[in-house]
Amino acid sequence: MTNTLPKTAPTKAHPLQDYIERLLAGDALLPDSVTNLMEVVGILKSYGVVLDAYAVNLKYMAADQFLLLFPFFKYFNGEITPGKLFRHWWHDRINYEYAEYCMRAMLWHGGGGLDTYLDSAEFSEACETAIQAKIRRNPLLKVLHRVFPDFLPEQVRQSAYIRGLGQFWTIMSEMFLTLSDRYDAGEIKSIPEVVAHIKAGLVAGANVPITFAVTIGGETYDLIPESQGLTFLADTGIPYVEAVFFRGTPFLGTVSYNAQAGQIPVEQSLFAYGALYADPVPIGGSGIPPTLLMQDMRHFLPDYLRDYYDQGLRGSDDMRVQICQSFQKSMFCVTSAALQGLLPHSPDTEVAEEQSANQDFLAYWMDRLMPSRLAVVQLAGR
Amino acid sequence: MLSALIIIPLLGALTLGLWPGSWQGGRARLFAGIVQSLSLVWVLYLGLHFDIHIPGMQFVESFAWVEPLGLTYQLGADGLALPLLFINGLLGLIAIWASPASIMRPRLYFALMLVISGAVAGAFVAQNLLLFFIFYELELIPLYLLIAIWGGARRAYAATKFLIYTAVSGNLILGGFLGFVWLGGGSSFNYDPTLAASIDLIPQLFLLGALLVGFGIKIPLFPFHTWLPDAHVEASTPISVLLAGVLLKLGTYGLVRFGLQMMPDAWTVLSPWLAGWAVISVLYGSLAAIAQTDMKKMVAYSSIGHMGYILLAAAAATPLSFLGTIMQMVSHGLISGLLFLLVGLVYSKTGTRDMTVLRGLLNPERGLPVVGTLMILGVMASAGIPGMVGFISEFVVFRGSIVVFPVQTLLSLIGTALTAVYLLLLVNRVFFGRLAIRPPTDAVTLDINLPPVSWAERLPSVVLALVIVALGIQPHWLSRWSEATSLLAVNPPVTVAQVSDASPVKPFQP
Repeated sequence: MTNTLPKTAPTKAHPLQDYIERLLAGDALLPDSVTNLMEVVGILKSYGVVLDAYAVNLKYMAADQFLLLFPFFKYFNGEITPGKLFRHWWHDRINYEYAEYCMRAMLWHGGGGLDTYLDSAEFSEACETAIQAKIRRNPLLKVLHRVFPDFLPEQVRQSAYIRGLGQFWTIMSEMFLTLSDRYDAGEIKSIPEVVAHIKAGLVAGANVPITFAVTIGGETYDLIPESQGLTFLADTGIPYVEAVFFRGTPFLGTVSYNAQAGQIPVEQSLFAYGALYADPVPIGGSGIPPTLLMQDMRHFLPDYLRDYYDQGLRGSDDMRVQICQSFQKSMFCVTSAALQGLLPHSPDTEVAEEQSANQDFLAYWMDRLMPSRLAVVQLAGR
Repeated sequence: MLSALIIIPLLGALTLGLWPGSWQGGRARLFAGIVQSLSLVWVLYLGLHFDIHIPGMQFVESFAWVEPLGLTYQLGADGLALPLLFINGLLGLIAIWASPASIMRPRLYFALMLVISGAVAGAFVAQNLLLFFIFYELELIPLYLLIAIWGGARRAYAATKFLIYTAVSGNLILGGFLGFVWLGGGSSFNYDPTLAASIDLIPQLFLLGALLVGFGIKIPLFPFHTWLPDAHVEASTPISVLLAGVLLKLGTYGLVRFGLQMMPDAWTVLSPWLAGWAVISVLYGSLAAIAQTDMKKMVAYSSIGHMGYILLAAAAATPLSFLGTIMQMVSHGLISGLLFLLVGLVYSKTGTRDMTVLRGLLNPERGLPVVGTLMILGVMASAGIPGMVGFISEFVVFRGSIVVFPVQTLLSLIGTALTAVYLLLLVNRVFFGRLAIRPPTDAVTLDINLPPVSWAERLPSVVLALVIVALGIQPHWLSRWSEATSLLAVNPPVTVAQVSDASPVKPFQP
């Protein structure tokens, strides 16, 4: 396809060319309006708080629940008290399950350096050493490892993703909370400024190393050493966007489909069930992952956003659907920042080949965004 | 004592209509609600003083009125009338409660509703044929006006059709009554089944035929039913509740009181045909309901099917089936009232009742989840799922009828299965799946957002649902009032023959 395009400046060829030009001009996929700005910043503030909680728990699970066959208290972050247990059963808690859904989506869709490294011989060797240390005094695990030699390494791979996502979200939550502080201080006044803030955050954190080490019997085992050169943006950020924003998984309760009738693509790469495609209307259905996230964010909404939701037709009745709508808008802002950050060349380049490469790059992503909710988030209202 | 049930609502209607000054809708509704509550409380008071061991009339009142005409103001209530008085009181209150305060001409509207309540109560307790006829006719006018003024787009057509059908029904009933008293040699129109003994069987069959067609129109039974779907579709929700829950019961009540009880010999002759007619009505109503795409029409046709069970039980005329007719009348009143209330809520929030476009209304945040939940409960009750009043009433109907008409009863049971079919179709289409209230288009639109349903709007349905479950779990609360009346209501030899029969399902051989 690249070869068929003219080498001159691109023409308005793509159906979503307007969005391509918006991105090249430094604007966002989401229209700039006061309401959109308030929704996006407000929801990212809440998301930042929730992401931080998820990240803390993910890192705790990776380090302290390593190869536990029955991790009953994995969501307790080491603090197990009767009061906390009752609050957990009463569901007065963060729904950490959502973080695991995202981790599994990443694990399943793969991509990036983390995925490649976890399939390498080097990782297998480090993994086996750690496993042997862990099972040394555990006959049950020993037998399990003997009978199913692939099982525990797969668990360790999952732990690596848990750790990787935890590190990724630590940086993202900080970025979103800073955004909110800047908005409160009057420094952020438009959607393009939100996108610029996120883009700057992604660029600043791009090379933060992704590492994973566990301590067993007082000895530390480096499962992802820093020397591997895995980094925040390329090895967790981009795979995360691909797995969670774009591909996703058709959660039961959110999408009606008949897989046997071929309604689910055979190729994972063709999946389009991610956050940018999600239908907010089923939110509220019990137990479905998006409900879990929206429920968590509901607890940490800034007052101005809560007031805005209360003014809706159904007031607080459909707050989680409204949260999802705002969240989706914010995710289009994050996508805008990621696409602008990953442009092959400067957006204002004068070189025709570079312009063409930028056009091709964005056209590819626009192709993928064709069935997304991009058109809906352009509308004012909720 | 029974007069209070007539006087309270009629006085209330007069006050509402004639009180000087202007009243807002909310105030008129409150006043009508208080008046109707008084009626309901009075029914409950009567229930407390009702001796369940006496099969005959209680709280009898009798005053001469127009003696040359044989018209006496004679009232009485037995185990057949009392549950219907309760239904009239409760559903009248529910209908007033479910009426919007913003309704136009509220004083006339609520006054007419009170007139209906008083007239229906009068018909249920009247022990003089002319008096019954007067009350029977009296409820026609307010109902006609309630449909014609506050109805939907085709209200004039539906109201006129209703009026013509029920006027014919009234004429046939009046003819039947006149013939019965004149041929029987009665000196007044007081309710007196012994007059039947003086009438030959052939004239009795004609008289009963006139009453059957007259009440068959009111119930309605196939093929006299065509006014009902139109009336329901055009009537507002509270009027549909009254129509299905209370007014149709005048037909079944008349059938039992003035057919089965007044002319038992002719009834016995015709009963196999009546059972066959019941089967046709049940199956026709159920199959027609399956074919509907308008929710309200589906519930209306479902009524036709369910009223057929009452005819079946009345035709069988065993003590148990007699009890079944009463229980089914109450059960159908409660369940159809609930279903119409819920359909009305769906219509008021989505603007449509079209089952080809409505989808996913159980959606937890943007749909109508409580309405959907209550609808599922109502549907289950209507389909006869145990634990709700629909089950026990249908069970008693079928158990009481199968000993006399096994084939017709089994065929009617198919109607129960068909009820499950069409109501599950309704629930599956309208309440499950992705929320939609319009046909899908390619246009980019905002996500659907239905207006909220307040608890004040939900409460009438919740009350009915609670009564449906309570009577389902504790059916004795419903049957105890009517057991003594049922035992002596039908010809004792029939009962003895069945009881002494070794096989409970063997058909009765007269």
